[in-house]
Amino acid sequence: MSSVVETPAPPRFQPGDYKSDLKPVWCAGCGDFGVVSAMYRAMAELQLEPWNTVVVSGIGCSSRLPGYVEAYGFNSVHGRALPIATGIKVARPELNVVAVGGDGDGLAIGGNHFLHASRRNLDVFYVLMDNEIYGLTKGQAAPTTPSGDKTKSTFFGNPEPSVDPCELAISFGATWVARGFSGDMKGLVDLMVAGMSHRGFAFLNVMSPCVTWRGDDQFKVMKAKLRSLPEGYDRSSRAAAFAYTRETETLTTGVLYEAHEPSLLDRLEAQRTKAMEGHEGLTTEKVLKVFFPPF
Amino acid sequence: MPALKERPKPFVLPEFCKGCGRCISACPKHCISMGTEINPQTGLTPVVLDLEHCNGCGLCIDACPEPYGLQQTPADADFELQDPEKLFGDRMSDAPEPVDIPNQVVPLPKMEPLVLKGNYAAAVGALLAGCRHFFGYPITPSTEGAELMAKLMPHLDGTFLQAVSEVATVNMMYGCGGAGMRSMTFTSSPGFSLMLEGISYMIGAEVPGVFINVMRGGPGLGNIAPEQADIKLCCRGLGHGNTHAIVLTPSTPQEMLDLTMLAFELTFKYRNPVIIASDGYLGQMTGKVSLPESMVKPGIPKWAVYGDLEHRRNLISSIYLSEVDLEKWNVVLNAKYASMQVEQRADLYMCDDAEVILVACTTPARTAKGAVQVLRSRGIKAGLFRPITVWPFPIEKLKTVLPNAKRIVVVEASNGQLEDELKIALANARIREYPEIEHVRHYGGVLPQMEEVILKVAAGQEVTV
Repeated sequence: MSSVVETPAPPRFQPGDYKSDLKPVWCAGCGDFGVVSAMYRAMAELQLEPWNTVVVSGIGCSSRLPGYVEAYGFNSVHGRALPIATGIKVARPELNVVAVGGDGDGLAIGGNHFLHASRRNLDVFYVLMDNEIYGLTKGQAAPTTPSGDKTKSTFFGNPEPSVDPCELAISFGATWVARGFSGDMKGLVDLMVAGMSHRGFAFLNVMSPCVTWRGDDQFKVMKAKLRSLPEGYDRSSRAAAFAYTRETETLTTGVLYEAHEPSLLDRLEAQRTKAMEGHEGLTTEKVLKVFFPPF
Repeated sequence: MPALKERPKPFVLPEFCKGCGRCISACPKHCISMGTEINPQTGLTPVVLDLEHCNGCGLCIDACPEPYGLQQTPADADFELQDPEKLFGDRMSDAPEPVDIPNQVVPLPKMEPLVLKGNYAAAVGALLAGCRHFFGYPITPSTEGAELMAKLMPHLDGTFLQAVSEVATVNMMYGCGGAGMRSMTFTSSPGFSLMLEGISYMIGAEVPGVFINVMRGGPGLGNIAPEQADIKLCCRGLGHGNTHAIVLTPSTPQEMLDLTMLAFELTFKYRNPVIIASDGYLGQMTGKVSLPESMVKPGIPKWAVYGDLEHRRNLISSIYLSEVDLEKWNVVLNAKYASMQVEQRADLYMCDDAEVILVACTTPARTAKGAVQVLRSRGIKAGLFRPITVWPFPIEKLKTVLPNAKRIVVVEASNGQLEDELKIALANARIREYPEIEHVRHYGGVLPQMEEVILKVAAGQEVTV
């Protein structure tokens, strides 16, 4: 009697199943191609059901991404991806909500929302595709454009210092913060899988070169700077993470910071549970009585 | 051997001390006591210092919640320097009456006309009008204007600042305009929506500023093609409250320059924002642009909160907490809006004997003008009435052409927003007798075509070729 070798059933979703019918209009060589491919693979790894997944964005080149993903999507208002993601997540907590966008969208006009989504520990995975420029409006300086760089709106060199989004997210209380590079597919998929699985606000800053407005060699420059976090890195330490922010000569990828704290939904749920204690069989009539004396 | 350093001792500025007593409990040497004499200027009782036992520990200065209450005596004690009157000038009530520092008109050398994009022409116009402060946020199809400002401003001792959003932009303009300086921005429809709150504040506080709205397709994100869909916002929806502003509608790159210069004149004349409603085509359209004979070197208006001794009397605010005060302020503003009616401007093309009046502005006006020429060549007495101000609508000019008019056709790239302005203007002028208003409309970035206008007008009329 020969033993029967059981072949495992093929996974239900393949990366290609998350690819929509729309063909990306990004420039040839854009880093965002790497990001969307990594997202397909990460979703397949987690076997996310497309009908239980929402990808939300603001406005910008990178914010076109939801259109290229076979899931529910929302190409929303400039800078407002995170408030819209908040609305979706609190209304339908069981959905997997991913917010995506660029550096101008997320850090300039949407900067305030980014800070407070971090602070609230909102249960959303936010991917920021950072090319250090406004691409869709044809090459103006963004908050991450390095100081001194010449762009179409900084003809004499950028007079402003740039910001490190990872540093911001950590200091405002995000509980999972990582940096990736769009040219490092394997690393990016691993980070996305971890980010999507995290409970709380997970922030992934993907360095995603702009071939059109940041020069042909931004990709090469970034790749040459690429480093991994050292062995034994303590990702629970904020202080350790800050050593890898505001880098100029290197570009360190990996999970810089991770903490396990109650997320916004956890806290809201705890409040609801507490408020409803002993209220079984509550009717509208009883609730309305709250407004009439004696309360 | 170095000289023994003595730690500075405190002194109190009686005008700023409210007598809270925090320094009294902070002082370990009991040098400070509650005063007994009321300060006649403040009506409060400042503390009294007796510095015989003071060792200069500075704890009292740390404890003082007032920024200028308790201070260190400077090492080379020129006590007078710290006198608040010398620091800030006179009190508001004692300050001299501010005076206008008038604008200067500087003649420009005669130059060959330039060939410029509409957005560039408007930026050049702003520079010639003396604008040296530009704030903006990138939005297509208006970015070229901002980019030219980024290149030129530092050469002209000016400031270009890219804001983090349109909300930030308009508030930067609020600050700059409040100081009496000439500021402007380029934006497009979605960005203009974001600026409306700030524009309402600027109107309420009478702060000047020029907004160039290169209108694009909507609603929502829409697209970057030309539409005239913000006419209702510019004329009827400038944020909350009773607001109005002059709205200029250029239709050539030359007018982008000329009307931007006019906008700066009007915004300071009325102390009210001025809006230039351009469109996506006009912003991108290249044309011949002649420079004016003179440029403006701006002065400082007397109302400016310029931040110096001469302007201490001035206050800029839009807060009137009492209902009666706010109504009074609205009456003042409404009177100002009424006074702006004299700024009505329009361009009349072949309207003298016209029986068919086409009404159009910005790029559709160019289409309509072409249609008038073709229709005239076919013997149809058509004319173009082109508002250059859509608010105030040039109804007085329209009155002159109405008696001959048998038809009015509004040509526009919106769902009747210009037509609504026309109808409101007719109603407000109590004009009851006018032909039924017809229209040629397109939306979403599609512009009315000349052939459509010709067909619309010629249909039902005998065409003689």
